[in-house]
Amino acid sequence: MSEAPSFRRSRLSGELPFRILTLGSVLLAAALLFTLVAVIMEKSLILWPVEAPLTFLTSSGWFGSTAPSGVITAAFGALPMIWGTLVTSLIGIAVAAPIGIFAAIYLVELAPKRLAAPLTFLVEIVAAIPSVVIGLWALGELSPRLRDSIEWWVASTVGQFIPWLSEDPQQPSDTSVFRSGIVLAIMITPMVAAVSREVIRSVPQSLREGLVGMGATKWETIRLVILPTAKVGLLGAVLLAFGRAIGETIAVRLTIGMNISEIPPTLFQPGSSIAAQIAGAFGEASPIEKGALAGLGLSLFILTLTLSLIVRLLMWRSANRMGART
Amino acid sequence: MNQAPLPNIRLDFSLTPHDIRRRRVNQIMLRIIQAAAIVSVVPLFTILFVIFSKGLPQLGLSFLLNGPLEQPTGIVNAIQGSLVMTFIAIIAAAPIGIGGGIYLNEYASTRVARIGELFIDIMLGVPSILAGLFAYFALVPILGHSGWTGSIALTVLMVPVVMRTTQEVLRLVPAGLREASLALGVPLWRTTIFVTCRTALSGIMTGVVLAISRGLGETAPLLLTSQTSNDVSINLGQPMNAMTVVIYQNATSSDPQIVATAWTTALVLFVVALILNVSVRFKTVNNRVF
Repeated sequence: MSEAPSFRRSRLSGELPFRILTLGSVLLAAALLFTLVAVIMEKSLILWPVEAPLTFLTSSGWFGSTAPSGVITAAFGALPMIWGTLVTSLIGIAVAAPIGIFAAIYLVELAPKRLAAPLTFLVEIVAAIPSVVIGLWALGELSPRLRDSIEWWVASTVGQFIPWLSEDPQQPSDTSVFRSGIVLAIMITPMVAAVSREVIRSVPQSLREGLVGMGATKWETIRLVILPTAKVGLLGAVLLAFGRAIGETIAVRLTIGMNISEIPPTLFQPGSSIAAQIAGAFGEASPIEKGALAGLGLSLFILTLTLSLIVRLLMWRSANRMGART
Repeated sequence: MNQAPLPNIRLDFSLTPHDIRRRRVNQIMLRIIQAAAIVSVVPLFTILFVIFSKGLPQLGLSFLLNGPLEQPTGIVNAIQGSLVMTFIAIIAAAPIGIGGGIYLNEYASTRVARIGELFIDIMLGVPSILAGLFAYFALVPILGHSGWTGSIALTVLMVPVVMRTTQEVLRLVPAGLREASLALGVPLWRTTIFVTCRTALSGIMTGVVLAISRGLGETAPLLLTSQTSNDVSINLGQPMNAMTVVIYQNATSSDPQIVATAWTTALVLFVVALILNVSVRFKTVNNRVF
């Protein structure tokens, strides 16, 4: 804005400092992100001589010790944790995506006006419950019930034929991968619903009217117009929630158990996840194990980074397409 | 006069089997959608019910005002810790976030703004445990396990929340307002502060409150950084307790009395989170109406 009239120089003189200040904020935030990644990377360096990155990602086992002579014996494998992270998140999203999207459709398309606002509010409140509170509830209330109902039922019917859905009747465990997945589903459903709601609301009204005018039923309008138009945005909502599920720490830590040495044979056995493992093992970790946990953190960051990039690309693409259409 | 042949229109309006099937499918699907909406709020009521029934018996003034070692036991140190660390974190995060949001929306070129958006996305996506890991590795050697380290870990998580909200509400400010101010000869920076930000103030505050709410609800980063303490003190140089950490650590105990403390703390935390979110909610509702 250098062309602005300059008859009051004293007021204009604030322009540069203000610009520098705000630019500085951006740079500071970017610097925070870079340092975060750099520090975690640097701390994981101690691990790589002991455990090559590729074997770290693809092997199981979790122990390490430093002998007084300085010789390190260690075998760290992230595979069970990566498996646990992905499987719990996939269970979570498989449950949360249909429920969240349908709930959003209900809020936008079907709910009577008087009901829509309070329901939306309730959904937002669920999203605002701190994850440790949900974890506490899951540990004390939900988990035992899931074990005695769904888990027991699945294990005693389908589980007879599919090994990874069976359960050892002698020792039903207090924690399981499946239960963590359900807890994640509860946590991310409101997120899917909230983002999907915005997406569905942005579908042009004329498209709906067109189909209704041709005699389509409400469901046909939803299936033939709303879902296809909102497809990309809904995918974005689901991926965003998936990213949140991957990074969720405390609620998973309280419900998944601490089985870090192997991939559990069935979904109804304890497992571990990357974030839960970092939170749970960090306190008493030896220096080399802290390096391994930093390595875990790094792989977690790469996972969420990839997801963030995909979501952003999707959003840009859909924004471009919408712009081209109208 | 030759009459034109009537077009072949079906004048029979009774439903064909095909129509009946369409109707039935429609009704079934609408029921399913309705059920999904109900299912998505059921956990809220169950959680609410359990928190209140398990947390309320122990709740009292002494619970809020006593330290953990006093009789009857209380969580005043955890409440103080949560509030103090969140306060310090938001003091740092709000200016950075608001300033950054202003730059990205008011000054940056389209390309820079896009890169900035991408950065905010990535930062928002960083799992909170990584902020804890970062603060532990970078700051515990200097500051030790202390309230300061905890606050900085929270700051990392709050900055993108404030920045994203600020950027988004500034985008909603009509260009006409800025132009009117600029046409009066007000320099851009003063326009930004006194017109653009002034208009978007309640939206920006929403972002700040959301960030506070996130800070109060975080557990994992504090577990690694500020750890726990039974001291009733607001000295940021020492390990500090937080409500979330109390819940987490008491949750797995086998002593029902300790688990009860977790439930009551959860009740307190939930009520605080609820108040924060309701206040934000009413602000935005008012904005939309007027």
